[in-house]
Amino acid sequence: MLFRVDVAAAEPLADQIAAQVRGGIVRGELVPGERLPPARELADVLDINLHTVLRAYAKLRDENLIELRRGRGAVVRDDADATRLRLVELARRFVDEARRQGLREAEMVAIVKEAQP
Amino acid sequence: MRRLLVSAALVWLPVGVLGLTWAAWHGRLPDRIATHWNGTGAADGFGPASWFWGTLLAIGVAAGVAGVVAARTPGARFLLTTAGSVSGAAAAIWLATAGATLANPADARLGWRFLLVFAGLVWGVVVAAAAGPRPVTAPVGAPAVDPLELKPTERVAYSSTLRSPLLLGVTLVAAAVVAVAAATTAPAVWPVLALPLAAALLFARVRVTADRRGLRLVAGLVGVPVKRIALADIDSAEPARIAPMEWGGWGYRVAPGRSALVLRSGPGLVLRLRDGRRFAVTLDEPEVPAALLTALRHRASG
Repeated sequence: MLFRVDVAAAEPLADQIAAQVRGGIVRGELVPGERLPPARELADVLDINLHTVLRAYAKLRDENLIELRRGRGAVVRDDADATRLRLVELARRFVDEARRQGLREAEMVAIVKEAQP
Repeated sequence: MRRLLVSAALVWLPVGVLGLTWAAWHGRLPDRIATHWNGTGAADGFGPASWFWGTLLAIGVAAGVAGVVAARTPGARFLLTTAGSVSGAAAAIWLATAGATLANPADARLGWRFLLVFAGLVWGVVVAAAAGPRPVTAPVGAPAVDPLELKPTERVAYSSTLRSPLLLGVTLVAAAVVAVAAATTAPAVWPVLALPLAAALLFARVRVTADRRGLRLVAGLVGVPVKRIALADIDSAEPARIAPMEWGGWGYRVAPGRSALVLRSGPGLVLRLRDGRRFAVTLDEPEVPAALLTALRHRASG
């Protein structure tokens, strides 16, 4: 898969990297058990700070998408669920848009409930 | 096409020699003949003549089949040459051995006849000469990709993992066969076990990266870099369909002017290097790294 970051973009670099890994899982380019590039190597080839990559990987670990193990590096979890992740991405976009419109959490939940047939 | 037919026939010629000489000589040959020679040309190993001949015939036939396949595959000159050398050598070993035995059945001496083996190996060159020059293969159906659009502030890296369950399976079966042979009959074979195991470790899982450094192949299970091509050495990168026979088979192949990691037939990335050599690796969606490397080349030179 392609890791692509824009150092001039407003979005933090760590978030850009995390988003690309999520996209890779959603599109099936990254399958469970697949190893991500070692953080040091990715930082080197993208010419960014090692800690930025580590922050991105830690974020993905907190989202239960990858496992970080000493010596084994970052591995896509067996239960990394592309289908669920796709929904999470849609929900994220929904929440972003709702926030822009000034909606509060209770109103967002109400809209989701309304959407159920 | 005619020249290729002739060259395929030339690969079979030594097989014919094997058949004719057996028909002519087997009545006069002892049941057991010298099959191995020490450094001074004296016999130090003996075996049944029919078994020795049969083994060489099988090798010759296998080379003959490979020769026909190679003649039908455009660009498979290396395989064709190898097939010629193998069948030539098989017949030459038989001629040298049987000839030495016939000359003096009581005390066979190899003598000058070991030179025949070299002549047999050179047979591959004759086969290659008959086939004529390699056809100029224009990269048809493999359009050069448009470079990936890169903003000056963008940084991109490609990483992909190749898996080859088939190659892993085959090497593990080979390892099992060697282990059984070593355990039951030939303990000297134990070190040979290292070969399939090393192959499995190196090529069962390979990570391919393309980035500002160039192209790299890293053996996944052990983390050893098996190939590094610097960005500056890359002339062009193109997606192509990889036919294993055109690159000399499956696995890590090295032939004059080109090398390749071929884990299956199908799409792959082909690099043309500045020094005229080519490198290929089988990959899903090779357009992605091809477009990236093309863009990085442009960025580096512009």
